[in-house]
Amino acid sequence: MRVRCEDVQELLPEYAEWGPRPAGDVERHLASCQECNARLTSLRSLLRSLEGLRAVEVDPEPGFLERTLQAVQAGTGPGRVVSIAELREARTRLTSMVRDPRTGYAVASLTGAAVGATAIALLWWRIARRAMTHGAM
Amino acid sequence: MVERDLVASAKAGDKAAFEELVSQTHRRVYTLAYRLVGDRAEAEDVAQEAYLRMFRGLAGFREEARFETWMYRIVANCAVSALRRRGRFGDVVSDEDLDLPAPEQTEQQTVDSDELTRALAELPEGQRVVVILKDVYGLSCREIGDELGVEEGAVKVRLHRARKRLADLIAGGSDTGGPGHEGEV
Repeated sequence: MRVRCEDVQELLPEYAEWGPRPAGDVERHLASCQECNARLTSLRSLLRSLEGLRAVEVDPEPGFLERTLQAVQAGTGPGRVVSIAELREARTRLTSMVRDPRTGYAVASLTGAAVGATAIALLWWRIARRAMTHGAM
Repeated sequence: MVERDLVASAKAGDKAAFEELVSQTHRRVYTLAYRLVGDRAEAEDVAQEAYLRMFRGLAGFREEARFETWMYRIVANCAVSALRRRGRFGDVVSDEDLDLPAPEQTEQQTVDSDELTRALAELPEGQRVVVILKDVYGLSCREIGDELGVEEGAVKVRLHRARKRLADLIAGGSDTGGPGHEGEV
């Protein structure tokens, strides 16, 4: 039975990967069909080109190596994180906490309380010192 | 190629050796991650995640295997997880849904790497991942299936479609843009 071009062409994406094979229906068809042969040649050239792409490297952003080493350090040292996703999540949580207005109010209240307590302590200390000075006279 | 001694030292817990390993391989790891996810920031996260997994898994690495293959498999696994989080990996797209140009029957020499990169970016994600891992990085269909969590037969089907589509895209001289957005099982 004669092999049809469409049947052969359906096989070509895998066939292109193989080396020399014993003559069969497909090989006999390829030997006599220019169109299928051109397709095979084109697929083999595609596979060679794909293989060659491995040697072509993409430049990472500047500082990538340093950031990666830091991430590995953070992920494997004391207090390590489980994954980069977790590290990123922790960073996002911290950022959103800092940006949260409630955090601002809390920090302002604590600062106010600390200033107030310092002022009271100073006042107390001055009164006590004055009292001691008057007592001594 | 990464030296066996360096891998052995890193495996024995020498942190400096591991850092040297990162230093020697980071461009290759980043390149693969970028080719798989198609986004620079995400590729950086994928590469870093991969190094963390490598560090933790190094004790179990069998030295008779090639370090590069092991490394590429880990990057592939991290990239596929990232693509799945993005939610576009695994959707079914039939060939009929894509309006592909008719292939021209011309004999070609090797394809220019920029043109090839643009054509790869046009592929659905599921096909792109498979063809990159198999035809660019030389992983076997079984290894790819293991990392993607699919059967070897499904990998072969994707590979077949990817090669056909890639050949059509290149023959049609398609005007390509960013990475493809469809996935495929």
